[in-house]
Amino acid sequence: MSAPLYELPEELRIDTAIARRITGEFIRGQLRQAGFERVVLGLSGGVDSALVAYLVTEAIGAEHLLCVLLPYASSSAASRSDAEEVVRRLGCASRLVTITAMVDAYFGAGAGEGALGADGPEATALRRGNFMARMRMAVLYDLSVVWGGLVAGTGNKTESLIGYTTLYGDNACAFNPIGDLYKSQVRQVAEAVGVPETIIVKAPSADLWPGQTDESEVGFSYADVDRLLYWMIDQRRSEEELAAKGFAPAFIERVARMVAGAEYKRQVPPIAKIGPRTAGLDYLYPRRRPGSARRSG
Amino acid sequence: MQPLRIALAQTAPQLGALEANLERHRALLAEARAGGAGLVVFPELGLTGYLLQDLAAEVAMRLDDPRLATLAAETVGLSAVVSFVEESADHRLFIAAALLEDGAVHHVHRKVFLPTYGLFDERRFFAAGSLIRAVPSRLGVGVGLAVCEDFWHLAVPQLLALDGAQVLINVSSSPGRDVAAINEFGLGTATSWRTLMRAYAQMTTSYVVFVNRVGVDESISFWGGSEVIGPAGDTRFGAPLYDEGLYLVDVDLADLRRERIATPLLRDERPEIVLRQLERIVRERAGEVRDTTAEPGAEPGLDVAPAAGSAPLVRR
Repeated sequence: MSAPLYELPEELRIDTAIARRITGEFIRGQLRQAGFERVVLGLSGGVDSALVAYLVTEAIGAEHLLCVLLPYASSSAASRSDAEEVVRRLGCASRLVTITAMVDAYFGAGAGEGALGADGPEATALRRGNFMARMRMAVLYDLSVVWGGLVAGTGNKTESLIGYTTLYGDNACAFNPIGDLYKSQVRQVAEAVGVPETIIVKAPSADLWPGQTDESEVGFSYADVDRLLYWMIDQRRSEEELAAKGFAPAFIERVARMVAGAEYKRQVPPIAKIGPRTAGLDYLYPRRRPGSARRSG
Repeated sequence: MQPLRIALAQTAPQLGALEANLERHRALLAEARAGGAGLVVFPELGLTGYLLQDLAAEVAMRLDDPRLATLAAETVGLSAVVSFVEESADHRLFIAAALLEDGAVHHVHRKVFLPTYGLFDERRFFAAGSLIRAVPSRLGVGVGLAVCEDFWHLAVPQLLALDGAQVLINVSSSPGRDVAAINEFGLGTATSWRTLMRAYAQMTTSYVVFVNRVGVDESISFWGGSEVIGPAGDTRFGAPLYDEGLYLVDVDLADLRRERIATPLLRDERPEIVLRQLERIVRERAGEVRDTTAEPGAEPGLDVAPAAGSAPLVRR
C-alpha cells in the first residue's frame, strides 16, 4: 500500500459518497430556490476552493461554473498554475483579475502614497491580508452579476471555528458546500473527487506573503486541531476529558479561546430590538421561499 | 394471500409552495394508482416543506379546507397518507398526517413529540398533538400513524399496536447528519432509524412503513431511505438514500397472522401492569408520593441518593 497523501485522523474519516451526494443536492437546491443556474467562485490554487469547483461541476456541470483567479503581485506562481490546472481539468470558464492595482491604490506602493495617505505603506500584514480578501469578495460579487451566478463559499469548518477567516472577505458567500467539513475531511473528499494530488498535499496557505503557511502561522497542524475540534465541538467533551484523551492543556485552552473569540464571525450581526417584529428574533423566515427567487431571464 | 401494493412517495417538497406540492401529490397518486398501489404514503409536511418557521401559519389548512377535500377526492379506491400544517379551530398549528381513503379524510394524527433541540425548533412554531390511536382502514387491517420524532419514543409504536394497528406508518422529514465512515450506512441518522424500524416491527409484530423525504431546505438535506419492514423485523424494501422516486413494494398482509401466531408477543403484552407502573412512576417523578424504589434522600426521578457528604440539591 502506498503512503497516504495526507494525515487523516480516523475519527474524522467520512463516507465521501454520501458527503458528495449531500453537497450535490445542497448546491442544486440553493440555486433552484434562488432562481439561479450558475455559480461563481474564487479559485486560489488551494484545496478548499479546488474542491468546491469540483463539487459544483459534479452538481451542475462545468458549463455553469465561473472560476475567478484573483492574485496579488506577491501571490505565488505555484498557486496560480495549480488554479489554472483545475480550470483546465474541469473545462469551466475562468477569468483572471489581478487585485494588485486595487490594493495598492489604497495602501500605496513603493514610494507612492495611496488613498490612505502617508501611513498606508506601514499597514500591517494583517490589515493588508484582510483588505485583499475583501477586494476579492468585491470582485466576485461584481462578476456574479455579469455571470448571473451565486457566489459559492470555499471556507472550511476548521478555519471558521478558529476564526482564521476575514469577515466579509473570504467568508462572504451566498452558500457554502464545504463549511461543515474539517480541513482533513476537505482533503479526503478532494481525493475522492479527483482534485490533483499536488493541490491536496501542499501546505495550506493564505498566500498573503511568500512562504506563508497556515500551520506555521497558527502554530499547530490541521490534523491535530481537527481532532481537537471534533472532540471539543462535535462530541462535546469537557477540557478535562480532552486532556485525558492526550491533548495538551495549553493547546486545548488556546483553541477554546480562538473558537470563543470567533463566535461573532459566524453569526449575523445583532440588530437592536425596537419594533414588534425584528429579523432574526421574531421575524423568522427561510432565506428562500415562494416569491423570493429572482425572476428568471 | 392478502396482497397489498404499497407506494412509497419519497418526494422533495418545495418549501412553502403548497399549490406546487399539491399538484405533485395529485400526479403521484395517479401514478401509484396506475401502478396498482392500494396504499400511497407521502412524507412529513410533504405538502408544505419542513423548515417553515413563520411560513407555517401561511400554508396551514383547516381540515375542511377545499384543497384538502380536492386531494382526498383523488383517493377513491385507495388509501393515502399525506402530511401538512393543520390549523385547528382555536388557531393552533399542528404537524398533521392524514389518512385519506375512498375520497374522504378518514383519520388525522397530530404529531405528538415535537423535537426542540439540536437543529430542531418545532415546539416554537407548532402545537403538540395529544392523541395516539389506531384506526381501521379499507385495507382490512388497523393502521397507526406517527410522524418522525413520534417514533423516537418507545410508547408510540407499542400503543398503536395495542390499539389494533397492524401496519405502523411513520412519515418523516429526517435531516441527514453525522456522515461518518464508522456508521453502518455511512450516515448516522440512517443507521439509527433502521435500527428503530426493525425493532418496532419485530416487537409489535406489525408491518412498519417508513417514508422519509429527500431534497434540501436551507442547510438541511433529507436522506430518504424509505422502508417497508415485515412483521418479523425483516426488511422487505429499502429505497435508496437521497433519490426522489415513487417506489412500489408488494407485501402479503397474511404474514401478520402467521407472525402473530408464531410469535405471540402482543398476546402476551400486559398493558395493565404497564399502566399500574406508569401511574406509580408518574406520581413519584412528580414528587407527589415517596419513591418506593429509591434510596432515602434521592431526588424525584432518580433512585440513587447523593453521595455521602455532598449537599442535597433541594432542601425540603
